Amino acid sequence: MIVFISGGAKNGKSSLAQDLAVALAAGRRHYYVATMIPSDDEDIDRIRHHRADREGMGFKTVECGRDILSCLPQVDKSATFLLDSATALLLNELFPDPTGGEMDVLAAERCARDLVTFAQSVENLVIVSDYIYSDAARYDALTETYRACLAKIDRMLAQVSDTVIEVTAGTYTLHKGEMPT
Amino acid sequence: MILILGGAYQGKLDYAKAAFNLSDADIFTCTGMEIDFSQRCIYALEEFTLACTMQGIDPIDYFRRNRAQWQECILICQDIFCGVVPMGADMRAWRHSTGQLCKYLAGEARQVSRIFCGLEQRLK
Repeated sequence: MIVFISGGAKNGKSSLAQDLAVALAAGRRHYYVATMIPSDDEDIDRIRHHRADREGMGFKTVECGRDILSCLPQVDKSATFLLDSATALLLNELFPDPTGGEMDVLAAERCARDLVTFAQSVENLVIVSDYIYSDAARYDALTETYRACLAKIDRMLAQVSDTVIEVTAGTYTLHKGEMPT
Repeated sequence: MILILGGAYQGKLDYAKAAFNLSDADIFTCTGMEIDFSQRCIYALEEFTLACTMQGIDPIDYFRRNRAQWQECILICQDIFCGVVPMGADMRAWRHSTGQLCKYLAGEARQVSRIFCGLEQRLK
């Protein structure tokens, strides 16, 4: 089963995703796919916070900040996976050098296809993205490319997902399928 | 009239094309203060409201004056309402006038749909 979760920042997407992944695992193995590659103390602190949040939920952590299919050989594909988030994964793929340098748009397109392949290769996937498409601003080309690439990922994942959920202040709008129980 | 809303890159036009069997020739894409209402579908209303705002013109007035012309149209506008308050006065005015226009049009519409990640959510 594929569950796609999006919505605004700090609205409760990760908490819901964790709960759904544990529910889908139903006592069997479940992985947390850690996508963030820390680049400063703030990131390290955020990771510490997320780890504490998951403690006691039984997740096995798999580090994979880039090339998502590369982690498949080392995991049990009949398990449940929580991938949080497509946003962080795309950031790593689109900007291979976080200190600057060129965007890798081809890597972003591969990332979108690979996420669909990943989703269809494992028993259960709960994947989190971020809804960053509704502000009144004219962004620079870099930011617009990032938004367009993430939206492409979102739409491809929403299309293959069994369930699509939008989280708003901890409440849920079901756009497709049923809420897993 | 049918109003379609949604954030950037969400697939609003793709939805309209598929749901209403539109071809590219049926679509007018806004780039300024004039709209060709003879087309079945009017896309990127936010570009029309931006042009109006920059010239100090009220987009709702324009729609009221031409009301008879768009009764059978499919209107598509980007949702630009959920971000932080824009720093620039122009962008704030744009957001305001676009929001006002969408409220007016949603009131007039027989169907309002929001597109989220390519999926339709029926609002009216």
